[in-house]
Amino acid sequence: MAYWFHRNPFKATAPVSFKLYGVATSGDAGKICNELRISRARLLDLLTDVTCTVETMKNAAELYTSLLQGFISAQDEDTKENKLRYIQKFKWTDTLLGNEDRTQQDALFELVSMACNVALWYTKFASRLAGKEDISTDEAKEVHTCLKVAAGIFKSIKEEHASRLLETPGKGTDLDPRVLEAYTVQSQAEAQEVTIARAIDMKHSANIISSLAYETAGYYQKADKELSTLEPKYSTKWRNYLQLKNCFYMAYAYSFNGQNLLAADKCGEAIRSLQEAEKMHSQADALCSEYRHTKGPGNNVKPSEHIFFQKLGTNVKITLEKCQRENGFIYFHKVPPDPPVLELKANYGLVQPIDFELPAPHVLWTKKSYAAFDISLKPSAEGKDKEKDKKKEEDVKVKPMKEPDLQPQKDTGCSIS
Amino acid sequence: PSAPESLPENKNINKDGVLVDEFGLPQIPAT
Repeated sequence: MAYWFHRNPFKATAPVSFKLYGVATSGDAGKICNELRISRARLLDLLTDVTCTVETMKNAAELYTSLLQGFISAQDEDTKENKLRYIQKFKWTDTLLGNEDRTQQDALFELVSMACNVALWYTKFASRLAGKEDISTDEAKEVHTCLKVAAGIFKSIKEEHASRLLETPGKGTDLDPRVLEAYTVQSQAEAQEVTIARAIDMKHSANIISSLAYETAGYYQKADKELSTLEPKYSTKWRNYLQLKNCFYMAYAYSFNGQNLLAADKCGEAIRSLQEAEKMHSQADALCSEYRHTKGPGNNVKPSEHIFFQKLGTNVKITLEKCQRENGFIYFHKVPPDPPVLELKANYGLVQPIDFELPAPHVLWTKKSYAAFDISLKPSAEGKDKEKDKKKEEDVKVKPMKEPDLQPQKDTGCSIS
Repeated sequence: PSAPESLPENKNINKDGVLVDEFGLPQIPAT
């Protein structure tokens, strides 16, 4: 089974040189600045490198974060603060707000912004892998894990780090709690999609599939609700995706609930459940069209022509026809006017985010190297390049990220000619 | 070798004591 997921673009950032001439007063301190500059640039390159593996990303992110931790974690034994936290400016754009950038002179702002991009990478890597036509069980496990890792990072930014920033995150930015919650819940829901496909492949009971689909639809609805108070100009396309997935998994839930009811010889109720599945599938179809015609961040694909979408529609139709036939021959049940109430609580397959923990400061950070940063001395450029370097720092522009996976993925949907 | 005194810890058991796979689904399909 191949999947399709909506993805917002990466956050873009301006280069940071970490040239703290004057402040970094020893060779070790200078080395830390140099390593920070190199590891940051490498991590940014890896984000858009299609050959990057999970292991490479994990190591690169850990290296940069551990170096940056020396600017954030408490190193002064008396004050429990870090004298270096506000020494460097960082400039970032947000996934929903186009090229508009924000600057904060706070290393924690850099840490959470980069962490957000790494989480987005995990979701994009999962999306690329999941888009393959014949995805193996091991690949499905990797997709599942990547989405849980991403959910854990978004959750940790929201619950543990964003609130420690000096500046309150702006509305609709990536550090807005509503946006972070939407990203977290979406990642959980997408991981559950993998589980639902697995449950169908392994021929698990209709009850297990129906309840998990119902919970998944609820997650998409929750993510959509989080975004409902944001500026529509930026959030409509993303919300369309969440709404269409909500309808799509409600269709799944009613469809498998119908099979469950038929197995319990409740044919009239089964027909009503399948009729509701058909209705939800049509609603999802309309939302697919809306998604395709809505401008905004994300790719421009035709989800309703995708195999995952068409397959469900066909299954609902076949099962409904079967129920109607059997009702005409065997059961003669009256079809209730209202759809059955789905009181399904999933006991299997619910996804929990994988806990995200920041690494300890890099080994280069010692009492001696930290002491070698003297903040009483203002950062200055060296020699004749002083003015030139200062101007360069101020004018530095945010370059948009060139993303390989923002292009429409290969559509695996088959068409009947 | 002597028999172990306790059962090995199995992380793939859910809260209801059912053996589950990496996706949290029962190891043995119900159907």
